[in-house]
Amino acid sequence: MEQNTTVIDAHELTKIYNGRQVPVKAIDGVHLHLEEGEFAAVVGPSGSGKSTLLHLIGGLDTPTSGNVVLAGTEITRLSEHKLIDFRLHHIGFVFQAYNLVPVLTARENIGFVMQLQGLPRSSINKRVDELLAQVDMIEKADVKPAKLSGGQQQRVAVARALASRPRIVLADEPTANLDSVNAGKLLDLMARLNREEHITFLFSTHDPRVIEKARRVITLVDGRVVSDTRPG
Amino acid sequence: MLLVRLAWLNLWRNRRRTLITGASVFFAVIMAIIMRASTLGIYDNLIHNFVSFSSGYLQVNQKGFHDEPSLDLAMVFSPGLIGILKEEGGITAVIPRMQSFVLAAGSGQAKGALFMGVVPSLEKQSTGLHRRLCAGSYPESDTAQVAMLGVDLASRLGLKPGDTVILIGQGYHAVTAAGKYRVSGLLQLGSPELNQRIVYLPLHCAQQLLDAPGMATSLALQIESPAKMEALARRLRPWIDTTQLELLTWKQLFPELDQFITADSAGHIIMSGVLYLVISFGLLGTLLMMARERTHEFGILVSLGLKRSRIAFMLLCESVFISLMGCSAGIASGWLLVRWFHLNPIPLGGRLKEMYLSYGIEPVISVSNRPDVFTVQAMVVLFISLALVFVPMVKVFQLQPVAALNS
Repeated sequence: MEQNTTVIDAHELTKIYNGRQVPVKAIDGVHLHLEEGEFAAVVGPSGSGKSTLLHLIGGLDTPTSGNVVLAGTEITRLSEHKLIDFRLHHIGFVFQAYNLVPVLTARENIGFVMQLQGLPRSSINKRVDELLAQVDMIEKADVKPAKLSGGQQQRVAVARALASRPRIVLADEPTANLDSVNAGKLLDLMARLNREEHITFLFSTHDPRVIEKARRVITLVDGRVVSDTRPG
Repeated sequence: MLLVRLAWLNLWRNRRRTLITGASVFFAVIMAIIMRASTLGIYDNLIHNFVSFSSGYLQVNQKGFHDEPSLDLAMVFSPGLIGILKEEGGITAVIPRMQSFVLAAGSGQAKGALFMGVVPSLEKQSTGLHRRLCAGSYPESDTAQVAMLGVDLASRLGLKPGDTVILIGQGYHAVTAAGKYRVSGLLQLGSPELNQRIVYLPLHCAQQLLDAPGMATSLALQIESPAKMEALARRLRPWIDTTQLELLTWKQLFPELDQFITADSAGHIIMSGVLYLVISFGLLGTLLMMARERTHEFGILVSLGLKRSRIAFMLLCESVFISLMGCSAGIASGWLLVRWFHLNPIPLGGRLKEMYLSYGIEPVISVSNRPDVFTVQAMVVLFISLALVFVPMVKVFQLQPVAALNS
């Protein structure tokens, strides 16, 4: 029997922004615990703190209080330099607006993170070819983002997120800009990668298609976890 | 290498802006080169005109002659001394000259004049004195009994080629010196002051007139590179008997000319500074714009795991690329322009000509093609681009990833 390992452990996480008049509590004492290989969605209305929670877990933002432990490392204690290094090796991001580097081709975008890691050219090429095949983008490998459709760009973004073989992929509203066909394909792709490569996926979304696919749904309201369910 | 390539690709995301910024650097470099080259050209020309027909860039004379230019401090110049000087590289000619003051008289007029005994063949070869002839003929032999006068002096004395000039003065050891010579030619020298004062006589004639056979008051040294004059002077001094002789540079001989150039060039340097300041703001505007409109992208790069220092390096590369493109095109075009104007100086006319003459400057705009005219501009522009990129770099280091992602 496979033994699960904790990959995300957020404890008493709070984030307060200094608003114009009064401080705004975006995340309010959140506890979150994700095992390796989970396929989870954080849902909630706009302004409930979904993206903020993902940013805190990904080390893009610092909590006002509480801590985040990712794959055994307490990232809230890491220096900026070490945190960037940690992200480079352990976390993959998928954004709503794809956010590919516009001057690089699909192939180069996927290989970008591995180049930053300093991997040899041969292993980068091998991995990129593998990922291009997985996301069904071999034919568009040498095309720049501006000439790709939204769905194609998001598939490249997913491939980029997976390039460094991260343990966690954080996806912030990944299907928000996609039509239902492309959204469906993307979700199938991520579900398959989750199954085959045992990568932990955590989405922020209010897309019912994503919620339907997720094996765990965490609901946030006003920065607090109000429910944490495992459908099916 | 990835970041360098990324920087290069980023430049062409907004081709027009990159080209406009590169063009501003290009025109700044060209203008700075032309401005500096013409300034240095005017100075070089001024110095050349002033020293070629008087002292040479370097001068060897009897100790004390410069402070008290008396014929009694004339020296016997030996072929040995000339050989020693020529042996050291960098000297193109060693020209003996006999300098004194005389009273020159023509038809009913007399005027104090600067008297210069020269070897006509040697001057022709090394200083191109014959090219300054504006009327009459140049002495065909070094022993001809003829005189050449500055054109304004001749006019003042009412003399023209073929007339006779009478020279009266004091010779070596206070003997009376007097002689009359046929005016063979009139000279239009670069220095208006010399045009009003100079009388040239073949050295042999001058020695006879002044009763100083085999003597000269100075040895004028023409040199290959005026820019290396000080170093050459330092190399030569140990070879000269400094108990008897002294070697002086034109700066020591004419300190007022050196001071004038120093003071005047300060103004030009300030002008160049203003020019670069304008360019700096243009470049800074572009760099800030390039950084600002990519705030979101920088947020992405940081979230992907690119360190801020590496983003800063990428910005540095972008700035250096723009500067290098503008700079190299500017230097290449500037070099062609400078080359053209160096070979074809622009003669001035009208009031500008009169103004130049009133300052004792030859009324031409000649440009200097010294290598530092180009290298200094390139260095300045590169330095500016490196200094300016510091501003967007600071912004990258202050970047908040989440704020950047939401921008």
